[in-house]
Order: sequence, then structure tokens, then C-alpha cells
Amino acid sequence: MTLWMHELRLLLRARLSVVALILMAILTAAAVTAGMVEISRQRTAIAAIPAAQSEDIAAVADYVDRTKDAGSAGYYSFHPTWDAPSPLAFAALGMRDVSPYILRVRALGLEAQIYDGDIFNPELALPGRFDFAFVLVFLAPLFVVALFHDLTSGEREAGRLRMLDALPRGGAKLLRRRMLLRIALLWAALAVPFLVAAVASGVGGAAIFAVLAVILAYLLFWTALAALVARLRWSSVANAATLAACWLVLVLVLPTLAHVAINRAVPIGQGAEIALAQREMVNRAWDIPRETTMRRFYAGHPEWADSAPLGSAFHYKWYFAFHQLGDESVATKVRAYRSGLERRDAAARMLGWVLPSVGVQALLTRLADTDVRAQLAYQDRVRAFHARLRNFYYGYLFRDRPFGRVDFGRAPIFAARMNTAGGSNEAADRP
Amino acid sequence: MSATHLIARDELRLMARNRVAVIALVLLVLLTLAAVLSSWSHQRGIAELRMRHQQVAAAAFKAQPDRHPHRMVHYGTFIYRPLGALAAFDPGVDAFTGNSMFLEGHRQNSANFGDVRQSSLLVRFGQLTPAFVLQVVAPLLLIFLGFGVLAGETERGTLRLLMLQGVSRGQLVRGKLAALGIVALIVGLPAMVGFVAVVAQPGTLALPMAAIGLGYALYLALWVVLILLASGFARRGRDALLALLAIWTVAVVLVPRIAPDIAGAAVPLQNRLQTDVAIARDLRQLGDSHNPDDPHLAAFKQSVLQRYGVTRVEDLPVNYKGLLAMEGERLTSGLFDRYAGASFAAQTAQNRLVDAIGVLSPTIAIRALSMAAADTDFAGHRRFLEQAETYRYALVQRLNRMEAKNVSYADDIAEDAGADRRKRIAADNWQHMPDFAFIAPSASALAAAALPGISILGLWLAVATLLLTRVTRLLGARQ
Repeated sequence: MTLWMHELRLLLRARLSVVALILMAILTAAAVTAGMVEISRQRTAIAAIPAAQSEDIAAVADYVDRTKDAGSAGYYSFHPTWDAPSPLAFAALGMRDVSPYILRVRALGLEAQIYDGDIFNPELALPGRFDFAFVLVFLAPLFVVALFHDLTSGEREAGRLRMLDALPRGGAKLLRRRMLLRIALLWAALAVPFLVAAVASGVGGAAIFAVLAVILAYLLFWTALAALVARLRWSSVANAATLAACWLVLVLVLPTLAHVAINRAVPIGQGAEIALAQREMVNRAWDIPRETTMRRFYAGHPEWADSAPLGSAFHYKWYFAFHQLGDESVATKVRAYRSGLERRDAAARMLGWVLPSVGVQALLTRLADTDVRAQLAYQDRVRAFHARLRNFYYGYLFRDRPFGRVDFGRAPIFAARMNTAGGSNEAADRP
Repeated sequence: MSATHLIARDELRLMARNRVAVIALVLLVLLTLAAVLSSWSHQRGIAELRMRHQQVAAAAFKAQPDRHPHRMVHYGTFIYRPLGALAAFDPGVDAFTGNSMFLEGHRQNSANFGDVRQSSLLVRFGQLTPAFVLQVVAPLLLIFLGFGVLAGETERGTLRLLMLQGVSRGQLVRGKLAALGIVALIVGLPAMVGFVAVVAQPGTLALPMAAIGLGYALYLALWVVLILLASGFARRGRDALLALLAIWTVAVVLVPRIAPDIAGAAVPLQNRLQTDVAIARDLRQLGDSHNPDDPHLAAFKQSVLQRYGVTRVEDLPVNYKGLLAMEGERLTSGLFDRYAGASFAAQTAQNRLVDAIGVLSPTIAIRALSMAAADTDFAGHRRFLEQAETYRYALVQRLNRMEAKNVSYADDIAEDAGADRRKRIAADNWQHMPDFAFIAPSASALAAAALPGISILGLWLAVATLLLTRVTRLLGARQ
């Protein structure tokens, strides 16, 4: 034990290591704070939905209540959906700054609505967010370099290495002690601020444990690399330069190269095509007999087929029917688009097994439920909700039931996510 | 041959003998070439794809059959943001903004299908472009090659020997400066040569390209001077290296990430839901088309009747529904402009804040400069959104005017079996609609947008050079 205390005292006497450790802790604390501020901003925005929404719907209800027309109600009512952040989201904001976490949809064609984005400043999004994942993936390795590059070479350059090797409990044991001490302190500098923030955010125990393990594993990778470089018996300067170059390649160059390669290997052009094709289908309905549209709609949705035939006047059930047919006509394209997104994401994940930087980022955003998969899952929930919306309005439209003020209150309400990694967040889900 | 020359040549010879240095330099040049090629083919691909989509969308609009003009208002049109030639060098925010936009009546849609939402998580690690290589990788290579140029002489004690031989401190520093400057030139030149080679019409874009070239020259020169500074100040090579790595981390990696967070927290943006609800609220107060007794619309009706000297809308020589649609569009568009203007102003304020923090990090300055000159910054995106809105408004109002003039009021409100046919107007009307054409800013405007960044970098360089002269005077004085 006393040996460890001596090592600690020795370490703390070196200005560089003390500064590095304190800086690491400060940066981590700043990053988790920034993440928590952002997440609380997002929670506030979600919590503000009901007030804005009830005002908006009340105005629609005022108007619709005069005619009791369910079609107008469906046409003019926007229904909110939201993607509540998981408790761990503060640690890895992932895609939450560029993908919408609030989206309002109408019971009309969904394919013209679901790809809409929210307002964000692209110049702020460009460099990426300052969150815990960034500090761990990008910055922590540089601190490993600063603390580990001269562990043996420094002693050799000072002419102490042979003497240390000759000491009892010196040599390899001493080196191991020093490495373990540095890893432990660096790990603490990252883990303690994270732990405080995670407990304050109500992150579940399993997720906290997983993140703590990820931190340790990532640090171990970089210390192992440093130890490997040290075996080459180069000078401290050469070690530092080599390790920094490794960092550059592993954290910056290879991921960007892989990004180009993946996007090249899995081309995705369907997005804009979906929008174009869906619009063509929807608008074509105005140029073909309305009965043709209804026949096709009833063929796919026999539950409404017993509805009264169309008269000569405009009826909203026809309007909603061709919107739904428009969605259905692009279903193949939608599947292809989505599978393209999933293939790109899977390729990046595969890369994570080889590139620790990518692997850690993928793991953290998965645990925090802020990655591409989380965005697609949110889209799935929006789709499910939209199906319920359609069903709700169709119940009035196809049965010619009047839609009064009270019926607005009967509309389905978006069900937030069922459960998430990283603990329960029922409270957060209720806007 | 002067001593400065000799020292520069000697230093370069030393670097050339260092196999690691040569390999690193070759790798960087290869990386630059890969970046130039991939970025160029990416830009070409996107530009072609968007042009093709634009043509398809325009053709689809013109090929529409006889229609009621209001159907065309809802049919709308798609426009795509064209990507300028300079985006091959620095695509800026292009991947982060949607590039396809659906324009229709009554609504202002978001620009969708940006790369960032269609890519894997790797997109957040940065993009391999010539701009990225020069902004991020090149300084690090210069640090590796240059941290020891002065510190090494001090450490080895050769500094004294040189001075004993009559070399002045100024000559020594100038010689080292020249050597590292040449390395910087080798580092920067491939990107610039590639840049000129891939830009299809360099003639018209000469000014912004020159601004970009000047900006990167200043940026790399600044790093060269900073490296000399640290190397001259440090007693050991290792101290110089660690100090430079720390400076690089803070300036290139850390501050560019922290600055947007500060800006985002300082100037909040209203989200889409709140904006839409606010616009709907304002619209109800301006003139609620759903309210038959709305005072504004009643006054509007009265003024129309008065203008034509009739008492009933049925007696108007034009279709009142078309006029009403025009008035409605005028009201909503006014609100769209107001709210979009407020959001743009907030985002511009955020970017200003980041630029201000850029005084602390030359990387922010060079990034802003490079995007501004390449027209791939927020201002460029805003220009597209504003032109899109102008076009949308003109298109919708043109269609509404057709409804007012070419569809009779009696037909427009009729609901009998043949009414649908009578409401339609001839298809050739759609063929006379002007296409959307993005008006790119002039070359001089782009170059001018780069000036603030150039001045910040110039200032940095001046201060760093001044400091270097001080450090030069102290060189070897502390042992």
C-alpha cells in the first residue's frame, strides 16, 4: 500500500500529469453539464407541446364544430408526436440535434410528412456536439498519450531505468503499478463527473455500469497501444509523436474514409424519389374516376367497403382514401430507403468492432438511444400512431358520423416509447 | 549563400533523411489527393442528381393535364438546392441541410433529405474533404515535423555552436522558418492544385478561390510561426511537442465544438411546432378564412366590390374565390417571412457568436472563411431558402390569379356532376410557368464574405510573428 502512495505522490509532483488529470475532469464535467442542459432544453420543448397544441386544436374545433365535418377535422388537425430523451441521452446526444424529436402529423399522406425536419442551425451542427461521448472518444486518448508516452522512455532518458530494473519490486512490477495508477486516475476523472450526472438524471444501474466499463475498456485500448509503442524503445518525443499520429488515424482519418466508402457502397437515392412518386399518385386521383380510387381503396381496406357510395359533391373520404393509396404506392421505395439506412448503419457498426473510436461512439449512442436506430424506431412509432389517427377519422368519415367539439378529445394520443435502455423514463414521456 | 539559406537547406535535408517524416508527408499528400477526388466526385454526383431531379420535377409540373388552378397550388413543385463548384473543396453545411424542398400553397415546408439523416454515425466524425485535411490534419503534421527545429538545437547544445560560428539568432529563426514554410507549402499545394483542377470554370470563380487560397496560406503560415514559437520557447523538444499538441487540441478539436454549444444556449431557436402554432394564431387574428364574420376578410370583400362598382361577388368580372386565395396567400406568406426572418436572425446571431469565439481559435476563422467563399455556409443555405420562398409565393399567386381570371365564380362554387370539368383550365397554362433558377451570389460577394476570416487570421499571424521576434531575442539566453 505504501508503495502505491509513493507512486501517487510521485505522480502528483509532475506538473504535466496533475494538469492533465484536472483538465480531463473539468472537460468531462463541462461536457456532461452541456449535455444535461441540452437534454433539459429538449424536455422543456416536449413539455410545452400540450399548451401550444390545445390552443391550436381549440381553434380548429371552433371552426369544425359549425359544420360537424369529420373531413375538415382530419384535414386541419395536426397531432403531435415526440421522442422523449432517455435518461442517458445527455452523455451521447447522437443524432438528436439534427433529427426532429417533435413532429406533428395529420391523417393525410404520411410519406409527405415523416421526413420533415425541425429547425436547427446547420453551422452549429456541423462540428458535432460537445458531449461526454466526444470527450471520451476524441479527447481521452490524447490524455492517455500525455500521461503514458514517457513512462519507460522518460526513466531511460533520465538514466534511472537500469537502477529501477534492479530494485526489488522494480522493473516490470513498478511499471505495471505506474500504469494501473494512471489508468485508475484517468478513469476516475472521466467516471466521477459522469456518475454524478447519471445518478442525477436517473439512469439505471445497468446502463451506468455499462458506460463505466466502456470508459475503462477504451482507456485500456489506448494504454495498451502506448505500451506497445514503448516496447519499440524509442525516445519520449518519438513515442508522443507516434501515439498522436495513431490517434489522428484511428479517430479522425479512418472514420472519415470509412464514411465515404460506406456511402459509396450503399447508395441511397430513394428519399427524394419517394416524395416525388407519392405526390404524383396523390394528385393523379383528381384526373381519374373517383370510383376507381374508392374501389382500389376498399380492395385493400375491406373494413370500410360498406360505406355509402360517393355522391356528386366533394367528400373527404375520397380525399383521405387517395392520400392513403399514395402512401401505399410508394411502400416498396420506402422499404428500400429504410433498408439502405439500416445497411449504412450496420456497416458503421461492423467497423466499430475494428475501430475502437467508432465502436465506443456506436455503443454510447445505442445505450443512450440517440443513434440512427433510435431515429428509425421513432419513425416506426410515428407510423403506428398515424395508422391509429387514420382509423380514428375514418370511423367518422366512412360512417358519416358528425364530428363535434367533444370528438376532438377522443382523438388518439401519441403513446411514448414503451421502454428504453438506460432506465425507465415514464415521467419524461408525459409531455 | 547566406546563413539563413544554409540553415533552411540543412533543416530540410535533415527532415528528408528522417524516414518517418517523409512517410508522413507522403501519406498526407495521398490523403489530400483522396480527399480531392472523393469530394469532387461526390460534389459532381450530387450536382448532377439534383439537376436531374430538378428537371424531372419541372417536367412533371408542365405535363399536368387540364386542372383547376387551385389543384396546381396543392400539386406544388419540388426544387433542389444546386451545389456550386467550390463545394468540391469545402461542402460546408451541405450535408447538414436538406437539399430538396416541396413548394405548395399555404404551407412552408422544411428542406428534407439531407445527408446527415441518411448516413451512419460516421458522418459526425467529420467529412473527408480537402478543407478538412488542411484545417485539421495539416497543422498536426507540421507540428510533428517542426516541434524540434529550435528546441532540438537548444537541447543538443548545438545552438551555442551555431552562435559561436557567427550565426545570428534572427538568421537561425528565419532559416528554420523558411524550411518549415517550404514543408507547409508541400502540405498545402496538392489541395490547392487539386482545387483548381476540379473546379470546372475557374475563370468566373477566381476571386473566391483566391480568397480561399489566401486564407489557407495564412492559416498554415500561422501554424508554422506558432510551432517556431513553441519550439523556441521550450527547453526540450518534448515540452514543445506536448505544448503544441495541447494548442492543437484546444484550437482545432475543442473550441470548434464548445463554441456552437455556447452559441446554441445563448441564442435559443424557436422550434417548428411553436412556430407553426404561432403562425396559425397570428393568422386567425389577421384574417380567419374559416370565420364567415371575420372583420378583415369582410373589409377585403367590401373593398373588392367597391373597386369594381358592384354589390354582389357574383357580379364581379373576376372570380372572387381566386382573389380571396391571393389575399390569403399574401397574409400567410407575410407571416412566413416574418417568422423565417426571426429564425434566420437568431441563427445568424448564433453564428456571429461562434465567429467571435473564433478570435480564440484560428480553426473557427478558417472554417468560416472557407465555407463563406465556397458559398456552403449558413448564409448560402439561407439564400436558397429565401429564393425558394420568393419563388413559391410567385408561383402560388400566379396560379391564384389564373383562378381569378380564367375560372368563373359560378363554376368555382358549383358542385353538380359536370362542375369538375368546367372548373379546369387548359394544360398549356402550366407550361408557361417559369422554372426555379437559383441565383448564385457574385464572385466578388463570395470573396468579400471571406474578408472577416482573412483579417482575423492576418491579425493572428501578426501577433504570432511579433511574439516570435521576442522569443528570437531570448533564444539560448535561458539554459
